[in-house]
Amino acid sequence: MGQFTQFAINGLMSGAIYALIAVGIVSVYKATKVVNFAHGYLIMFGAYFYFTFSVIVPGQAWAPDWLASWQPAWLLEMREGLPMFSPMGAVLDWVQNVPRILLGIAGALVCNAVVGRIIERTLMRPLMGQSIFAMIMVTVGLISIMSGAASIIWTADADFVPHIAPNAPIRFELFGTMIFLFGADLVNMLVALIIFAGIVLMVRYTKSGVAIRATAEDQSTAYSMGISVPKVFSRAWVLASTTGAIAGAILATRNGISPSLGLFGFSVLAIVLMGGLDSYIGVFLAAMAVGVMEALTQWQMGGDWAEIVPYVAVLLILLIRPHGLFGSKEVERI
Amino acid sequence: MLRIEDLHLSFGGIKALQGISFEAKPGEITGVIGPNGAGKTSLFNAISGFYKPDRGRVFFDGQDITGLSPDRRAELGIARTFQNIALFRGMTVLDNIKLGGHTRLKTNVWQALRYFGAAQREELELRRDIEERVINFLEIDHIRKYPITMLPYGLQKRVELGRALAMQPKVLMLDEPVAGMNREETADMARFILDVQEQFGTTILLVEHDMHMVMDICSHIVVLNFGQQIASGTPAEVSGNQDVIEAYLGAAA
Repeated sequence: MGQFTQFAINGLMSGAIYALIAVGIVSVYKATKVVNFAHGYLIMFGAYFYFTFSVIVPGQAWAPDWLASWQPAWLLEMREGLPMFSPMGAVLDWVQNVPRILLGIAGALVCNAVVGRIIERTLMRPLMGQSIFAMIMVTVGLISIMSGAASIIWTADADFVPHIAPNAPIRFELFGTMIFLFGADLVNMLVALIIFAGIVLMVRYTKSGVAIRATAEDQSTAYSMGISVPKVFSRAWVLASTTGAIAGAILATRNGISPSLGLFGFSVLAIVLMGGLDSYIGVFLAAMAVGVMEALTQWQMGGDWAEIVPYVAVLLILLIRPHGLFGSKEVERI
Repeated sequence: MLRIEDLHLSFGGIKALQGISFEAKPGEITGVIGPNGAGKTSLFNAISGFYKPDRGRVFFDGQDITGLSPDRRAELGIARTFQNIALFRGMTVLDNIKLGGHTRLKTNVWQALRYFGAAQREELELRRDIEERVINFLEIDHIRKYPITMLPYGLQKRVELGRALAMQPKVLMLDEPVAGMNREETADMARFILDVQEQFGTTILLVEHDMHMVMDICSHIVVLNFGQQIASGTPAEVSGNQDVIEAYLGAAA
């Protein structure tokens, strides 16, 4: 039981990240009916942008010193005499990094939003009204372009990027066992959950959410009801690229940065299919389930199996429910 | 109210519309008839903005709207229904109808957070308007919470009309409102259309196959055949026109 709780919690934490990635795929699909195969690469761009603004820019000669490492007097004072690896020390380390973390996140959000908009305007919008398949193939083509572009633009060796939250170790007792986790992982999970919830509420209760739902069901009808469908398209892409930027920043701190970060998109695509392409709730449950399955497989069978077992489960579920757990079935009129 | 001038539209080599010109007068019901493939739905799509005409102009209330996108035209006050019912199937009757009023809501999220009262008042007004002008008017109070898929065909058509009415349109375009309906349902629908005209003074443009209904309720009729306008006039004039009899009414007339 003891180990089980620990691994299940680890699984929930990575599941939340999967959900944050998935939210971008679902939003674009809901609004445009396009399955974005390149979403992982959008995230990879987000990670590189975070790296650029939190590591490269502060390291430049022209950047002010406080950007690279903020050391106000009170901080130095508090550091005096703290033992190595103390939780307080971890928090203080983080405080030093706050300026560049904020710059990194802001930069990643803005740049990724621009990239998302450019993709939508130059590649997706002209194809509006054409077959959806053509648009999907464009996203497949984007994979090569984006991974190639990333290795041309960012030639610098991937470096350590700052965690977005204090990485203090946390210990507590749950169900009679000691649980051990890192503060950064916990905050990452909370950030992912808050963003996910925010988007679900937005889609359910706001005017632009209604526009997205109506467009999801029937584009031409939504259009004739006074909903600007092109605006819905570009909003969905910007939503996907900005949530992708946050996910990228988080992944960069967990997995390091390389163009292969884009591969994450494919595993998450499997999760999205399992949950049902157009259901936020279904995708959330699927992401959590796969995260936990991965962690438990790793515990019981080792890391090699962890990459396989959850996806076999996804396949089995799709065999039984082709539209995913919560996906809406296309009703064909006969 | 709605004036079409010399409208031309082609898809590749197929000339869907060739020089259509007519006017839908304010507060009147104008009918567009013609055999299958005559270009009636293409005409509707050109008016609501889905097709860009090759030549010709569309005027609404004196304003040239030829270059506007469909959502802008809807905001100006052109509402339509579709030949194949185009309701949002995942939503209830009430949600579908409220969606018609959606574009009239001016408040966005930030304003709603700051001026909660104003946003709430706007929402309440919309709701009352929908209650009175749409739900009671169309006698669909008993099905408001139903999902669309549970309703029989005739009622779905009525809900679609309701959604268009919720937009408070100045011009209402109905694409085959009674297609596939039995005699009783057709009579009901005709009555609702006449009521809309009478009570709200809405200008109505109607595409329909059911000749009886068109002759009964329209004050002006435009006849299309193979993309050309072969006649235009009152029901009596049109049904006496030799071209029309040959092209459409055929031996039956």
